[in-house]
Amino acid sequence: MAEYFVARGLPVPPELRRTPLTDWRRWSLIGATLAILYIGVRLLDIDLSRANPEYAGTRIISLLQWDLRILTPQNEFETFWDTAGGLMIITIFLGVVATAISIVFALPLAFLGARNIMTGNPVAAAIYGVARVLFTVMRSIDVLIVVIIFSVIFGLGSAAGVFGLAFHNIGVLGKLYSEAIEGIDPGPPEAITATGATRFQVVWAAVLPQIVNPFISFSIYRLDANVRLAPVLGFVGGGGIGQYLFQTINLFQYNKAGLIIFLIVITVAAMDFASAQIRKRLV
Amino acid sequence: MPAFLEIRDLVKVYPRGARALDSISLDIRKGEFVVLIGLSGSGKSTLLRCINRLVEPTSGRVIFEGTDVTLVNGRDLRQIRRRIGMIFQQFNLVRRSSVFANVLAGRLGYRSSWRTVASRPSREDVALAFENLERVGILEKAYARADALSGGQQQRVGIARALMQQPQLMLADEPVASLDPATSHSVMKYLEEINKTDGITVICSLHFLSLARRYATRVIALKDGKVAFDGKPADIDEERFKEIYGQEAIEVEIGPERSRPQPLSATEAALLALAQDTDVGRVSDR
Repeated sequence: MAEYFVARGLPVPPELRRTPLTDWRRWSLIGATLAILYIGVRLLDIDLSRANPEYAGTRIISLLQWDLRILTPQNEFETFWDTAGGLMIITIFLGVVATAISIVFALPLAFLGARNIMTGNPVAAAIYGVARVLFTVMRSIDVLIVVIIFSVIFGLGSAAGVFGLAFHNIGVLGKLYSEAIEGIDPGPPEAITATGATRFQVVWAAVLPQIVNPFISFSIYRLDANVRLAPVLGFVGGGGIGQYLFQTINLFQYNKAGLIIFLIVITVAAMDFASAQIRKRLV
Repeated sequence: MPAFLEIRDLVKVYPRGARALDSISLDIRKGEFVVLIGLSGSGKSTLLRCINRLVEPTSGRVIFEGTDVTLVNGRDLRQIRRRIGMIFQQFNLVRRSSVFANVLAGRLGYRSSWRTVASRPSREDVALAFENLERVGILEKAYARADALSGGQQQRVGIARALMQQPQLMLADEPVASLDPATSHSVMKYLEEINKTDGITVICSLHFLSLARRYATRVIALKDGKVAFDGKPADIDEERFKEIYGQEAIEVEIGPERSRPQPLSATEAALLALAQDTDVGRVSDR
């Protein structure tokens, strides 16, 4: 095959010069991957001797033997909102409120963090840079860590959970929104600028109509993610059903924990389904 | 008497060093239909955009009815832009918005930012929008989404939007480069009509010399950012043509002028019907 190229004075394609089985590059890549994995396993010192299948078996069974009493108030001091169902609803709203707060802040910030909006003068370019750094910083701290920090400020409970979740999400939504703004067709803004419109009017008439759908889509995606995250926040002091779950696990009340986990799974699955359906319709 | 539009020693050097305009000087008189020709990259688009400052010139002056466009900013610049309409090769309509909303947007320069958000369009603006839609012959499409229209129709929406500014000058950047020959003529005729009826001066860049010969009262050819020819369309002979477009170029005719696109052949009609049949798409989705 290579003669075809040699006879015509053309460079021989590398695919013809190498056979896959003897190519040293391929083998060295495979070797390097295996070596890294070996080092990793040795460093981790994975120890299976502490595993106790008999004990685990009894616990898994008690996870499935749900204690249904936690679904109803147990004494005169408890209301519906102290039951697992009530706490689950509260936790869903924890995610909803956090998403709403983050949308309110991310929306205006996203325009400041979009390069195609912030052009023309050095001040605008500087604001763009600050907004982008802000998004990156807010996004790079994991939600659980943010909630731990916020629980120091606000004390244990829903406040730390809501504000921590919102803080992280301003970074995520700000980045997603501003990238949607940067991805618009530059033609319409150019045309509206040419009509003598102000910068604000250009955004209103030519940018906003182009980003409504991606914005709604991203917001629903984050709402979905936040409702999924909300139950975990209680583990680090963020309030909601997570706090209750953490308590039951620490008290070895696996009959209660199992039912709470089941409630969370149902909620997350329903949220996942609804969000996918809505977003599919928007595209 | 000062010229309607005076361009003096206009230079544009892009940040990467490309010299798009190399000391251009032109006088455009009121009522002219000027066609800019030249190869891609010869500076036609840059020249048009320097006139309304969509592109910032590096040096030189652009004097529009006695005001130096390169010296004004903010409100003054917007008020000059308001008097200069512009249409584009890619039409630059907001695709998701209605035709009517797109046309109405041409009036934004006359309204405050606050009123854009807080109040409904005025009776006069709505009436003007319908008047202009009727003028370009797409009144019945007023409430269709802009991207549901054909290319020629979209460009007519672009013209209607620019007319909302009640401009004295119309800039057209390759307005027919994305259109087929028959539609090209229909769009060019609307430009010719506003030039003759309203006395709007037109500066239009085109790829095809045959279109320039048909519509221009004056042809300006650009080559490497300089004026290579400036005169009557009839004065461009073969020698001049080769100067502008290079030795190897051959002048091509753009198709015959037709007022209406030709009817579709039976096969084309069937293919179109199949493509538009949404049920076909839905079945394949399942």
